[in-house]
Amino acid sequence: MPGPTEREWPLIAFTILSQAAVGAYGTVAAAFLLGAAPQPALIQNRVFSVPFLASVLAALGLAAAVSLLHLGRPGRAATALANVRSSWLSREIFFELAFIAFVLILAILRWRGQEAGAAFRPLVIAAAAAGALFLLSMSRLYMLRTVPAWRGLHTPISFFATAALLGPLAVLAGRRMLFDFAGSVDGFSAGAELAALAAILVLILTALLLTPRTGLAGGTAETLRELPAGRIYPLLAFRLLYLGAAMIFVFLFHGSGHTGYAVLALLAAAVSEILGRYLFYALYARTGV
Amino acid sequence: MSVPFVHQYAFHYDASVCSGCKACQGACKDKNDLPPGVLWRRVYEVTGGSWKKEGGVWVPGVFAYNLSLACHHCAKPICGEGCPTKAIYKRDDGVVLIDTQACIGCRYCEWACPYGAIQFDAERRLETKCDFCADLLGAGRPPACVAACPMRALDFGDLDDLRKTYGGTSEIFPLPEAGVTEPALLIKPHKDAARATKDTAEVANWEEI
Repeated sequence: MPGPTEREWPLIAFTILSQAAVGAYGTVAAAFLLGAAPQPALIQNRVFSVPFLASVLAALGLAAAVSLLHLGRPGRAATALANVRSSWLSREIFFELAFIAFVLILAILRWRGQEAGAAFRPLVIAAAAAGALFLLSMSRLYMLRTVPAWRGLHTPISFFATAALLGPLAVLAGRRMLFDFAGSVDGFSAGAELAALAAILVLILTALLLTPRTGLAGGTAETLRELPAGRIYPLLAFRLLYLGAAMIFVFLFHGSGHTGYAVLALLAAAVSEILGRYLFYALYARTGV
Repeated sequence: MSVPFVHQYAFHYDASVCSGCKACQGACKDKNDLPPGVLWRRVYEVTGGSWKKEGGVWVPGVFAYNLSLACHHCAKPICGEGCPTKAIYKRDDGVVLIDTQACIGCRYCEWACPYGAIQFDAERRLETKCDFCADLLGAGRPPACVAACPMRALDFGDLDDLRKTYGGTSEIFPLPEAGVTEPALLIKPHKDAARATKDTAEVANWEEI
């Protein structure tokens, strides 16, 4: 049975980069929407900076470009929007484009100094909703009824957790370059740290409990043809080690405030998620032949 | 050989007489000029069992049978459900086709099909599959695989007519539950198929497929 493992590096890059971009946006949007008054106005002006929004757009653009490498005919990629009615793949691209459009409008408003207008807050919410639907569609398209290894709840949980891990860590690692403030907004860093730590715990639990073949509660007898079973557990072990390292670096960042620890946490988390996503595709096994 | 008033073209496969000669596979590849690595019809060799000790004697308990599979032009084609470009569609006579102009080669259909019917053509960079020899059907001739079978293990026609003539099932190892896609496939199982499960049997010729 052919599996997607060997040729899926473009999708590994696309899913992780997209999730990181949505997570980074979500971190800032959450600070803006949930922060205590008069904090929102302060955060809006400082964290919704043009460099930050441009970075989110750049990550999404890079992810989209890399995803084209997966296609046999990348020149016709635009036609993938044709079946929004029944295809989660079409919906994924639809919400990806919607998210990009909303973030682009926010960036233009911010660049023109129009962030105080009445449209800014609804646009922030609309972009957050489009980002969440983008990740939801991305999860659902893998949950095929003929692919038990992807069918479970571990797929959406791990996709959203990747966003909640890499996004906040990217924001913390790049905050001095991306924002007008130097980490002095009350609760912003602490919120991002908490989100990352919670995501690490969720990812560890998901890997240990739910992931088919590697999880305690999700084991299946599906045949693995692409990845020898002997390589699964070492990869999983390395993934958990890198998640643990990311957790330690987050604690060190919390204690010292040194950006270097946030960068290390981001790098460890990124390696962990690359290993995790590699395993995700490698565990593909459909019913039948 | 044409079948009037067809609502759903289907294949019947008699696994009890199939010798595994793969003439169907070869005829399909030849008729459709398929490139290396692409097989619209595939013959799976299922093997299983073991030697068992009965009293003081070891006796063979092994078994093997063949499964000739193509696209089964399902009533619920999961390949088409997820296709982002609507490149996969079903004709009024039940035949499922791929619009090669619309296919972008995302391979999503290939992941989903539980019959391995969707085959990626690396030269043309798009997905391909059995088209039930639609051109031959139009000319009143049988599909190449059916015509080539020396054992007459393959037949085709309207699903309801085939069911009346042969009966049969589409649920033998290693195929999925029929309800997943409702394939237009009827199989007369090999006598040993009842012994085959995912724990007792396996496909032995993956490298050929």
